[in-house]
Amino acid sequence: MQPGVIQTAGLTKDYGAVLALDDLTIDIAPGITGLVGANGAGKSTLIKILLGLVAPTSGTASVLGLDLAADAPAIRARVGYLPEHDCLPPDVSASDFVVHLGMMSGLPRVAARERAAEVLRHVGLAEERYRPMGGYSTGMKQRAKLAQAIVHDPRLVLLDEPTNGLDPAARDDMLGLVQRVGHDFGISVLVTSHLLGELERVSDHVVILDSGRLLRASETSEFLDVTGTLLVEVLGDDAQARMGQALLAAGVPVQRRGGLLALEPAPDLTVDVHDLVRDTALELGLGLVRIQADHRRIEDVFADA
Amino acid sequence: MPEPMPETPPTGVIHDLGYRPYDGPRQTGRHIALALFVSGFRNAFGLGRSNKSKVLPFLLLVINLLPAVIIVGAMTLFNLNELPLAYARYASATQILLSIFVAAQAPVLFSRDLRHGSIALYLARPLSSAAYAAARWASLLAATLVFLLVPVIALYVGAVLAELDFGEQTRDAAKAVVLAGLLALMLTGVGGLIASISLRRGFAIVSTIVVLLLGNGVVTAVQGIARDQGELRVGEVAGLFSPYSLLRGATTAWTDEEFVLPRGSGAMSATYFVVMVLVAIVLFALLLLRYRRIAGR
Repeated sequence: MQPGVIQTAGLTKDYGAVLALDDLTIDIAPGITGLVGANGAGKSTLIKILLGLVAPTSGTASVLGLDLAADAPAIRARVGYLPEHDCLPPDVSASDFVVHLGMMSGLPRVAARERAAEVLRHVGLAEERYRPMGGYSTGMKQRAKLAQAIVHDPRLVLLDEPTNGLDPAARDDMLGLVQRVGHDFGISVLVTSHLLGELERVSDHVVILDSGRLLRASETSEFLDVTGTLLVEVLGDDAQARMGQALLAAGVPVQRRGGLLALEPAPDLTVDVHDLVRDTALELGLGLVRIQADHRRIEDVFADA
Repeated sequence: MPEPMPETPPTGVIHDLGYRPYDGPRQTGRHIALALFVSGFRNAFGLGRSNKSKVLPFLLLVINLLPAVIIVGAMTLFNLNELPLAYARYASATQILLSIFVAAQAPVLFSRDLRHGSIALYLARPLSSAAYAAARWASLLAATLVFLLVPVIALYVGAVLAELDFGEQTRDAAKAVVLAGLLALMLTGVGGLIASISLRRGFAIVSTIVVLLLGNGVVTAVQGIARDQGELRVGEVAGLFSPYSLLRGATTAWTDEEFVLPRGSGAMSATYFVVMVLVAIVLFALLLLRYRRIAGR
């Protein structure tokens, strides 16, 4: 296993009135990690501590193998950060702003220009990058924020709620970009969200915080283990009922789940259950819309916990 | 017979549109702070910003320079044998323009990043909050010095070209430069601190002008009354409470110029200089403190 990009041990942040982080020990591997938790679960506090902006009350942390207490400036040089709140001056163009912030991360001017042009193209800001950012849509602003977070080719980016305030289409675009940053650009990503569903799509690992404590950390695939249940959708007159009865008669337990049928074939079933579904639908003259494996959803983890 | 495939690959280049990592040089603290200083200095004059934001600083710069140009013109025209306005009096004579300049341009360097939240992007980068504040402060100081020194230099060049006594002119101009430096340190402190606390540009401008000009107005009134009542000591102490009266006190002590009050005791003269430096140091420290608090939020 590769060494972790973020490691914390007993990390605690006590704001007096609020215990933002409570004895948090996590080890985050390279790749895309989703950091999930309700508002106030300690996500933003963790990010600020990892950037060396807020000192923990107790505990230690290392980022990219560098000790937080000793090497905060070096960490900040190799980490990118997309804040949750607005952070773009309205009277500056994305192009100028990203060049400037590239230099603030230590790139020489010429390199900062080249990198800014490149990352703005990657995040999908074309001609509009020369216009003042005050006129941007929320989606374009989020893209500009992402561009400044990766302009200096960091080893790790901390994305604080990058999909916040986006409409569904822009949300999909942003999640696609997050995935590209993590998988195609080779930059490790820690992305926070209070929505579980969107993180299970893009992240390799999921860390769940609850009131500053670690609820669970594991690979996304573990959350989403195939349960063995098969979901089937058929079309036709009284389709669900007829199909259900036919399958029951063939020895497959069936339950209705919304507009779908959930099949739980016994492991010792002699015929292939997919063939059985196909043949049954054909015999009954029903339109077979889909057969899909039923995954657990991350939400179920909360139900278990 | 079909032609054989060429041995060499085609010369046309297919551009790789994939992500390229950066493995060039990376600069550290001092160079980044310098880059921030330079961009801040340019921004203070509206350079690197919209055309609209260039209007005010350059307009003020030109109006501020105008008296010096007129003086130099008059000097050559009428063959005057001394400057009608001494170097050291120039800043006091144009203090309204100077105050507007500092009040209007300090928010460009301090309030903007706070108001739009971009401070978070700076603080997430290698520079510490103290280094950020110091670079911003240095940008404002340099811009204020340019504003203060351009007319002095114009007067000096004019005086030298008009063949006034070179040694005398150089000595007087050099004293004016030192006094301007002390004034700039104080003005930068006042303007920077106010702009780092007030996020609204308008509020910062008004507050700074009130502190600088109204403060000076009150002190000047007190000094005038004290002089008329024969209570010179009261007037001298009052002079410690505003940057411009401190400047006048120090100027009176060090040069041949006099303002509201006549030249006082040696101890008081030294006090003006010490207080100017102290004010600059305290305001700078408060600015660093302010940014440390912002970083910890």
